[in-house]
Amino acid sequence: MKVIGLELYKWRHKRLFLMVLLFLLAEIGWAFAVTRISITRNPDQAGWEPLVATISAMNGFFLPILTAICVSRICDMEHKGNTWKLLYTLSVKRSTLYMAKSVSASIVMGVALSLQALAIVAFGIVHHFAPVPIWLLTRFILGTAVTTLVLIALQQWVSMAIKNQTFALTLGMVGSFVGLVADLLPSGVSKFFVWSYYTALSPITSVYADDKLHFVIRDSSLLWPQMAALLAVGMALYGVGSVHVARREG
Amino acid sequence: MKPVLSTHQLSKRYGGTYRVKNVNLSVHEGEIYGFLGPNGAGKSTTLKMILGLVRPTEGTVTVFGKDLGRNRRFILSHTGSLIESPSYYGHLTGLENMRIVQMLRDLPNRNVSEALKIVRLEKHQDKKVDQYSLGMKQRLGIAMALVSFPKLLILDEPTNGLDPAGIGEIRELIRSLPERYGMTVLISSHLLSEIEQIATSVGIINEGKMLFQGSLEKLKNQSRPAIRIKTQHNDWAHEVLGQYGYSPQQDGEYLTFESLTDDQVAHINRILVTSQIGVLRIEEQKKRLESIFLDMTGKENSL
Repeated sequence: MKVIGLELYKWRHKRLFLMVLLFLLAEIGWAFAVTRISITRNPDQAGWEPLVATISAMNGFFLPILTAICVSRICDMEHKGNTWKLLYTLSVKRSTLYMAKSVSASIVMGVALSLQALAIVAFGIVHHFAPVPIWLLTRFILGTAVTTLVLIALQQWVSMAIKNQTFALTLGMVGSFVGLVADLLPSGVSKFFVWSYYTALSPITSVYADDKLHFVIRDSSLLWPQMAALLAVGMALYGVGSVHVARREG
Repeated sequence: MKPVLSTHQLSKRYGGTYRVKNVNLSVHEGEIYGFLGPNGAGKSTTLKMILGLVRPTEGTVTVFGKDLGRNRRFILSHTGSLIESPSYYGHLTGLENMRIVQMLRDLPNRNVSEALKIVRLEKHQDKKVDQYSLGMKQRLGIAMALVSFPKLLILDEPTNGLDPAGIGEIRELIRSLPERYGMTVLISSHLLSEIEQIATSVGIINEGKMLFQGSLEKLKNQSRPAIRIKTQHNDWAHEVLGQYGYSPQQDGEYLTFESLTDDQVAHINRILVTSQIGVLRIEEQKKRLESIFLDMTGKENSL
């Protein structure tokens, strides 16, 4: 706990939460604008489904780069000040430090996803959608959170192992691109890209039929195994990254 | 007396090359141990192994009578260190950086203010470290090493980046630590003059191997002093002495002889007087640590 508290202390003057908030505002603003236009054109489709589907698609583009930036900023402060050896000589274990960074990055992204969920609910209430679909939103939040956790594990490994953060940020940008076009790729290909799961694990999918876009609720029994498999991948990435960084000398 | 810190056959190999080979270091309580060597000699690698930052290929490290491998946490809790360049969070203030060490070591506030006062950073404690000069960063690094007032303080080239006045201050500070706080100090440097002025014991390392370990006196006594003689006719004296098997070196106004016994000095004087060459001065010139070090390492260029 002490090391996690210390991580939060180190964020002083970094304005990390402000950056996340501004990023989130841009995403939500865009998503809400798109949804509002869609509702205006198709009043019969006014509901939670298009809103959640749009936000899922936007998350595929915004969250990979936001995760990359957050994790990079959290890890880079150790590279910049060459503080690894200071912490290790203060009896902080490499694996503990890795865990603390992972937890603190998860806290930031957790706050971001919570704010996003609240914004979705607020938008739905303001536009008089049907009662808040707790189960649908829970599945959406879980899918987004699991994908983000895996991305944190991946980005943290890169950010901690490679001093030059350009690599980590480039990976985040590549992820954003993949997340954006994930639905256009064959499912056999897209399932190998972690960034595609923002839409793949969304409880709503869109189908184009009869010259119209239809929003369909996915069968949750199909999503759970995918979510579990993705979580296992994330844990493996975390484990390998932690051992890799812990074995380095310095 | 048992050493506070000792290494046994400590070695580190990178690829096929030994960076440090069979180093047996022994630092006793209350000492200021100067770990001397030219750049790339293996000083930092040795210190990193002592702190557990680098795993030794062979050998052991014992600190406070305990094996480092099994008691790293205990040993580090009583050891302060500054290795290579200072570590700091540039976006935080000097005080906030100190607070991080304070939190990890569970120290009272007075330790932080005392350490900042010692390195004269108390007036700059609220400034972000990114805005510090190199010397101020170095002083902050020393303050972070000192803040727990540890039993053992390991400083790797602590005067790097300091101006002459700063070097003097840090030298005085280090000199005062054993007496004021009961610390044992291990300080590495390639600046011979610096070590010569503060160390009570020295270890000399070159190309990963320990060449000497012991007191400064012992080191100085390892080499016999040179004898310098000034005469009224040095060229003539050189010629005459050559006939008796002496081959002095012309050193400005002096003839310099290496490794002479007292009898030989008396003999040379007799020869010169008999040959009616006026002897103006006979001087004993003790070698400076630097000269002895250069003789040992032959690394004049890297100093």
